[in-house]
Amino acid sequence: MRFVIRRFLLFVAALLAISVVIFAALRILPGDVASVMAGLNAPPERVAQLRSQMGLDRPLIVQYFSWMGGLLHGDFGTSLLTGRSISSMVAMRASVTFPLIVLGLVVALAIGLTLGVVATLATRPAVRSAFHFVAIVGGAIPALWGGLLLILLFGRGTGLLGILPSQGFPEAGWSSFGSALASLVLPALTVGIIDGASLMRYTRSALGDVMNSGYIDQAMACGYTRRQAALKVGLRLATPQLVSVVGLMFAGMITGVMVIESLFALPGIGAGLITDLGNRDLIAVQSELFMLAAFFLFVGFLVDLLHRFLDPRLKHAVQGGAQ
Amino acid sequence: MPTNSGAYGENDATDSKATGNNENETAANVAGSSANVSDNATNTGSTGANANHDAEAKNTGSTDETLNAHVKGTSVGNVSGGTGGHGKKKGWTWAIVAAVVVVALIAAFVVIRNNRKASIAPAQVHTADSVTIGLKLAPTNLDIRNQSGSSLDQVLVGNVYEGLVARDSQNKVVPGLAKSWEKSADGMSYTFHLNRGMNFSNGDKLDASDVAWSINELVAKHYHDSEALMNFKSVTATDADTVKLDLTAPYANLLWELACRPGLVFDKNANYDMKTQAVGSGPYTVAKFVPNDSITLKANPKYWGTHKAATSTIVLRYFGDDNAAVNALKSGDVQVLAPVTENLAEPFVKDNANYRVAAGDDTDKFVLAMNSKGAKTSDLRVRQAIRYAIDHKQLIASRGGADKPLGGPIPSLDPGYQDLTGLYPHNVEKAKALMKEAGYTPDHPLELRLTYANTYGTELGDQLRSQLKPIGIDLKVNVVEFSTWLQDVLKNKDYDLSMVDHNESHDFSQWTQDSYYYNYSNQKVKDYYNQAMAASSDSQRDALLAKAARVVSEDAPADWLFNYRITTAMKSGVSGFPLNLNQTLLPLYNVRYMTQVK
Amino acid sequence: MTSKDECSTTDTNQASRESTNMSQDIVSSVGNSVIQPSGKVFKSTKARSSNKLTVVLRSIWQRGEGKFALIVLALWVAVSLVSLVWTPQSLWATDGYHVWAKPSAAHWLGTDGTGADVFSWLMAGARTNLFIAILAVVFAGALGILLMGAMVSRNSALSNVSVVAVDALISIPTALIALILAVPMGASVAVIIIACGIGYGLNLARIARPQALLAANSDYVASSLSYGASGFSVMLHHILPNAMPTIMVQLSLSAGTAVLAESGLTYLGVGVPSGVPSWGHSLATSVKFINVYPLTVLWPGLIVTVVVVALNVFGDVLRDAIDPVTNPELREV
Repeated sequence: MRFVIRRFLLFVAALLAISVVIFAALRILPGDVASVMAGLNAPPERVAQLRSQMGLDRPLIVQYFSWMGGLLHGDFGTSLLTGRSISSMVAMRASVTFPLIVLGLVVALAIGLTLGVVATLATRPAVRSAFHFVAIVGGAIPALWGGLLLILLFGRGTGLLGILPSQGFPEAGWSSFGSALASLVLPALTVGIIDGASLMRYTRSALGDVMNSGYIDQAMACGYTRRQAALKVGLRLATPQLVSVVGLMFAGMITGVMVIESLFALPGIGAGLITDLGNRDLIAVQSELFMLAAFFLFVGFLVDLLHRFLDPRLKHAVQGGAQ
Repeated sequence: MPTNSGAYGENDATDSKATGNNENETAANVAGSSANVSDNATNTGSTGANANHDAEAKNTGSTDETLNAHVKGTSVGNVSGGTGGHGKKKGWTWAIVAAVVVVALIAAFVVIRNNRKASIAPAQVHTADSVTIGLKLAPTNLDIRNQSGSSLDQVLVGNVYEGLVARDSQNKVVPGLAKSWEKSADGMSYTFHLNRGMNFSNGDKLDASDVAWSINELVAKHYHDSEALMNFKSVTATDADTVKLDLTAPYANLLWELACRPGLVFDKNANYDMKTQAVGSGPYTVAKFVPNDSITLKANPKYWGTHKAATSTIVLRYFGDDNAAVNALKSGDVQVLAPVTENLAEPFVKDNANYRVAAGDDTDKFVLAMNSKGAKTSDLRVRQAIRYAIDHKQLIASRGGADKPLGGPIPSLDPGYQDLTGLYPHNVEKAKALMKEAGYTPDHPLELRLTYANTYGTELGDQLRSQLKPIGIDLKVNVVEFSTWLQDVLKNKDYDLSMVDHNESHDFSQWTQDSYYYNYSNQKVKDYYNQAMAASSDSQRDALLAKAARVVSEDAPADWLFNYRITTAMKSGVSGFPLNLNQTLLPLYNVRYMTQVK
Repeated sequence: MTSKDECSTTDTNQASRESTNMSQDIVSSVGNSVIQPSGKVFKSTKARSSNKLTVVLRSIWQRGEGKFALIVLALWVAVSLVSLVWTPQSLWATDGYHVWAKPSAAHWLGTDGTGADVFSWLMAGARTNLFIAILAVVFAGALGILLMGAMVSRNSALSNVSVVAVDALISIPTALIALILAVPMGASVAVIIIACGIGYGLNLARIARPQALLAANSDYVASSLSYGASGFSVMLHHILPNAMPTIMVQLSLSAGTAVLAESGLTYLGVGVPSGVPSWGHSLATSVKFINVYPLTVLWPGLIVTVVVVALNVFGDVLRDAIDPVTNPELREV
C-alpha cells in the first residue's frame, strides 16, 4: 500500500512537472495565433489588436496560473481559433482516436499474443521460422506504406476488393455506428498488424526467456507437459514484461496514429494536434498535450502497479532490499 | 475556358481508345508473369532447403555442448539456443518469395484497376438532394469578421452571407443586396438602392440600417480587411432601401472591395457566436461545422432572392492529404474535388465517361520574393539573374501544364493585367553573365536561403535549386510551417528568397507599402498606383495599374513563377459548379448532381 | 548503503571473481533467466575483445538469417559510400517535361515529381538514413543507459527523480517531440535524431529497468557492495551486463524504428528537409501519387522494409551471439 501511495505522489509530481515543461516549451515557439488569424495582408496594428483581444499580451506567469487554475476546476480553456471549449474538441477527436487505438490494440493483441505463444511452442522449425518471419517483416513495414498497401487492396473505389471505406469518418459520428466502425477497420488493421508483429516478438522473447528458465523445468518436473507449463507458468511469468510493453505501445500508437490519421483523413487527436500546433493555438495545444501526458502517465502508473503485483520475484527482491 | 475543356476532351477520346485495346493484353501479361514468379518460387525453395542441410550439420556440432550444459531436454533447448535449426532457411526463402508475390500482385491489380472502365447503363435521371464537395484548405472557425484566409470567403460569401454588391466568375462587380448604384461625378459619393423584402435566415428583416451598421462596425472595430476600405468617410441609411457611402477621396477599387468581406451585411439584432455559427441572408445556412473537417450547408428556407438553392444539402469536406481527396472522389464519397492536383487527375481525365476535369482561371500568384534589402539579394544583378535562370515553362509542365506563365504582379483576372513574360525570358547565358558581373560563378557560388511554407510541397524547392545551380547559386531550401513563415518572413523580414501563393485579388497595393515583407520601395510605382486609385474611369485605372506593374516587374523584387489555375474534377452528372476563382468565390446555389437510376 | 557516485578503492577484479563464484550458485538456485552472464566474459582484454568480435561475427554469419542481415547491412553501408561519389544520374538533373516517367534505360526506376532519377535518389537516400540510424542509436543508447543507471541508483532522491522524469517525458510521443522541435529548427535531420534519441532512450531505460532492478537487488550485487565495490563499478560489471541483451535488442529495434520514423516524420513534414535525399523523402513525395504511379511508392517502402527487417534480424541474432549461454564459442575465447 505504501508503494501505491508513493507511486501516486510521483504521478502527481510528474503531472506538475510536465505542465511546466509543456507550457514553457510552447512559449518558445516562433509565431503566434494572432498573426495566423490576421493573415498575409494585415497591418501590424491589427495583429497587436488581436493579441490583446485574446489576452496573449499578459505576462507569462499570469497566463500559466490562469491555465492551471482552469485545469483545477476541470476547465481546459477555450480554443482561441475555433471558439470551442477544448474539452469538447478533444472529446470529439478522442471519439475517433480511442476506438481506433483500442481496435488496433485488440488486433495487435490477437495477432501478437496468439502467434507469439504458438511460435514459441511450435516444435517444427519450419513453422517457427515462418512465424518468426511474419513477426519480423510485419514489424518492419512503415505504417504509411502498410496503410497504402491496405488501401490498394481493400479501399473502396481504389482497392482490388473495394469493400471498406478508406477516407474520413462519417459526419454523424458514432450515431451511424456501422459506417463509423467500418471507417476504422483499415486504419486499425494497419496499426494492429504492425504493432501486433512487434508484440509477437516481445511475447516470443519474454516467453522464450521464461521457457529456458528453471521455472519451467521445475513445473515439468511436477508433472506438467511442456505446453501446460508454458501456458500456466510461463505466461504468468512473462506477463509483467508484456504489460510494460503493451503499456508503452499505447504511447507509441499515438505516434503511429498521427500518420495513419492523416493518411486515412480521420479527424482524430493526432491530426487535430498537428493543425492546432500549426495554427499556434497554444491554449488548445497545451491542454491537449497535458491531457495526453496525463493519460499516459496514468497508464504508466497502472503499468507499474500491475508489474509489481504480477511479478512475485520483483516484489520479493525489492522487499528484501528494503529490509 | 472552352479551349481548355476542348483540349481535355480530345485527350480523353484518344486515351480511352488506347485503354480499351490494352485491357486484355495487360491482364494476360500479368497472369503470365505471376505464373513465372511461382515457378521460380518452387525452384528457389528446393535449393534453399538443400543448402540448409549443410549449415545445419555444422551448427549442431557446436551447439550440442551448450545444450547439454545448460538445458535439459534437447527439444526445449532449441527455443532460443540453436535457432539455426533445419528449415529455417527454407522458411525464409519461402517467405521472401511470398512477399515478392504479394507485391507483384498488388502492382498487377493496380495496373488492372487503373485500366478498368466502368460501364454505364442507360436509365432515368434523378437529381440528388445532397452533394458532397471535397476542398483543401479548411477554415478553423466561421468568424469572417476576424479570421483571415480565403477558405472562409470560399464557403461563406455568397452562400451564407451576402454583400452589398457581389462579383461574378470574371471577377467583375455585379448587383448583390443592392440592385443598383450611382457614383457622384467627383467619385467621392456612392448611393446604393437595395432590393426589397430581404431577410436573414433567422427571419429578421434586412434593410439599409443593417448595411450601414455592418460597415460602420467594420471600420470602428478594425475587422479583417477594414483597411481595404480606403478613404472611407461615412455610411448612412437614408431610408429603408437606400444607403449612401461617402469617401474623403476617390477610390477606384471601392465597389470591388464591397463585393468582398468589407461589404458583407450582418444582422444587427442577432446575437450569436460568430466562430461557430453564421446568420446571413444567403441561400444556405450552416447546419453543422466540424473545424478542419467539414461544413454542412442546408438550403435556407427563408431565402429572399433569386439564387435559390438547387440542392438542399451541400457538404463541404476538407482533405489535407491530396491522395485522400482523390480516393474520396474515386470511391464516390465526394462528387466534386476542387482543387485536384493536376498530376493526380489523370485517372479522371482518362475516364471521361464518368468524370469531367477542367481548369479555371484564378488570381493565385506564386511569388518568389527576393528580399530587396537583403544582404545578398539587394544586388539588382542577382535578382535579375534569378529571373532569367528560372525556366517557368518547365515548372508549369512538371505540374501538369494547366498553370499560366506570369511575368508581373497582376494576374489576368485583375485590373491592369498585361503580359509581362517578355521582360525576363528564360536565358541561362544572360543569367550566368549577370552573376559573374556580381562576382559569383558555379565554382564560387552565392549561397541563398529559400523559405516557404510546407503546404506547397517540396518539388518546387528542389526544382528551383537545380535550376539556379548552373548560374552559381547554391540554394538552401527551408520548408517551414506557415506560422513560422509568418513570423520569420512576413513579420521579421528575415529571408533571402521566399515563396508564397498570394491568392488575393486586387492586391497590388502590396508593392506600394514600404513596410511589407518584400522590402520594396519605388516612388514611381506609388505615384502610378495613387493616380490609378483616383482615376475616374476603369480604363484609365487599368492603364495606370499596368504601368505600375511593368515598373515593379522591371525592378525584379520578385519572380512570379506562374499564375496557378485551379483544376477541378467532378462526376459527370455534376453541373453548376464554378471553375473560375473557386478557391475564393464558390457560389453553390446552382450546383446539381444528376444520377442515372437503373 | 553508499551512494552510487561514491568512489571505492576495492579492486574491481576481485568483485568480478566473487561474482563468478556467486553466479554459479545463483544459476542453480534462482534460475538463469536474468542473472546469467558469467563474470569471465567481462574481464576482457583488448586482444580478447577483437577475438570476441570475430567470434560474434562468425556466429552471426553461420546462421541463415544472420547472413541475410549482414549482407543487407553491408550493402546499405556500401551503397551509402558509393552514393557520395557516384550515382547513375545527378540528383539535381531535374526535368519538368519528364516527371513520373516510367522505368527506362536512363532511369532504371523512372523519375519522380521533379523529373529527377528515382534510383539515384534512393541510392543517395541510403546514406542519410544510415546517418540517422547510427546517430539516433548512439544518442538513445547513451541516454538510455544513463537514465537506467539513475533509475536503479541507491541514491533514492536520484532514482525517484529520474523515475518521475522518465515517466513524465515518456508520455510525450516521439512524433510530438519532433513536431515541437521542428517549429524552431525547421524540418531537419537533427530533428529526427534528437526526437528518436530522446524517445528511444526513454523507452530503453524503462524497458531495461526491471532487469537492472533485479540485478541491482540481487544477492551478489549486495555481496559485491559489501566487498566495497563502488556504485559505478557495480553498474559497469553487474547491472549493465545483465541488462545488455535487452539493451542490444532494444537498440537494434531502435535503429529500425529510426528508419521507420524517418519516413513517417518526413511524411508529416518535420523530418528530412527538402533537397536532402532519403527514403522517407522518396516515399513522402510519391505517396500522393500512389493511385497514378503506384510503382514509385513501392520501391522506397520495400527498401525500408528490407533494411528494417535486416536490422531487427541482426538484433535477434546478435543477442544470441553475444550471450555466452547461447553462444558457447564465446566462452572459449
